[in-house]
Amino acid sequence: MTEPAALKIDDLHKSFGEHEVIKGVSMEAHKGDVIAILGASGSGKSTFLRCINLLETPNSGDVYLAGEKIRMKKNRHGETVPEDIRQVERMRARLAMVFQSFNLWSHMTVMENVLEGPVYVQKTPKAEAREKAAALLAKVGLSDRADYYPAHLSGGQQQRVAIARALAMDPDVMLFDEPTSALDPELVGEVLSVMRDLAEEGRTMLVVTHEMGFARDVSSKTVFLNKGEVCEEGPPAKLFSNPETEQFRAFLSRMN
Amino acid sequence: MAVPLAVARAARHPVFNPLVWTYTYVFRGTPLLVQTYLIYYGLGQFEAVRQSWLWDPILSSAWWCALIAFTLNTAAYTTELLCGAIVDTPKGEVEAAIATGHSYRARMRRIILPSAFRRAIPAYSNEVIFMLHGSVVASTITLQDILGVGRWLNGRYYLAYEGFITAALLYFIIVFAITRVFRWIERRYLRHLTGRETKMDAPATPEPTR
Repeated sequence: MTEPAALKIDDLHKSFGEHEVIKGVSMEAHKGDVIAILGASGSGKSTFLRCINLLETPNSGDVYLAGEKIRMKKNRHGETVPEDIRQVERMRARLAMVFQSFNLWSHMTVMENVLEGPVYVQKTPKAEAREKAAALLAKVGLSDRADYYPAHLSGGQQQRVAIARALAMDPDVMLFDEPTSALDPELVGEVLSVMRDLAEEGRTMLVVTHEMGFARDVSSKTVFLNKGEVCEEGPPAKLFSNPETEQFRAFLSRMN
Repeated sequence: MAVPLAVARAARHPVFNPLVWTYTYVFRGTPLLVQTYLIYYGLGQFEAVRQSWLWDPILSSAWWCALIAFTLNTAAYTTELLCGAIVDTPKGEVEAAIATGHSYRARMRRIILPSAFRRAIPAYSNEVIFMLHGSVVASTITLQDILGVGRWLNGRYYLAYEGFITAALLYFIIVFAITRVFRWIERRYLRHLTGRETKMDAPATPEPTR
């Protein structure tokens, strides 16, 4: 039997009220894949990402992590809810997320932010976690900021801390939700270069982004979402040089 | 006491939230003096209360009644201000905790409450000072508080200024001490909220703030 995909999403649907935002999206990420998810604003790409770790509850569709399905059920109002919240929490710990607005815990220092997940979710001994956290901070180039509070860092530094915080969980898959969209243009590069390193290390990543360069050069597969559906997908080299659909072509010309 | 109440209220618990709401509404909606009278003079009206085991050690004593009234009153205010701080926790920080795999309990204990406590400190220092000033109420139910002693001096020896000015001074000194303590607490625990400008020019090694 072949190894199950690191992350598999099967026919995901999500509506807000009457408005269907995701109209049946399926996706599969194997170990080491870097999938760039592109799309105009309102195409549902962020919502899709947030459905994977159940920050938004999908209306239907299944998410499998290394072959294990997140079990859902209907509650008495007919809404889809997780069957076992403990399972969901366990899955979330394996699916680290990096947010557009960093979302560092503001009352904790950089070091405490990175330690939080390993120590209080995974119950790693503190000394061991601290050693690893220091190594991760060195990796994102912020060793000298370990005792700073997030408010005292620049946006790019905060996002790099957020990436270190995500890495500290040793995640199977990393979810990036427009990680550079809230940054000043001159700070985008430092975050992208950290992400590039992660891709080269063979991390499995799903990246919702507006950075065409990143999608083209780093991703192993690019997916273009349009109005809640996969419009076009494939290897970036092919997709960017030879867009098949009118929508993707229009999107590309708008971005350039 | 205010902590579990505030959590229940902020979580919009279907049973506890209305109960807590009623409690804070009643105790914030009526003057402390009235509450103290109701507990000290009011409860004694009931035969059942006088017969109960609570009567002898607690409810017949002015000191305990004042303490109960003050506690219930200040807890009501504290519940509301803490609930506000909990609700105001940045949504993204809560989401980050969810995404990290924190359970509801862990989120509350590790992220939301520590953050809310810190943000509630300035408002809470006001509440403590108000409560101190509210303590004059105790002198109306036979207790000797600071103002009570001043009044006694005035009544007995006509030493109006001496007694009352001493009382005012004492309050002032206590409030001064309280504000200093809270200033110290704020400096220690609200460092993370101070502006970035103050820190950006700082050297790479962390330094104690100001």
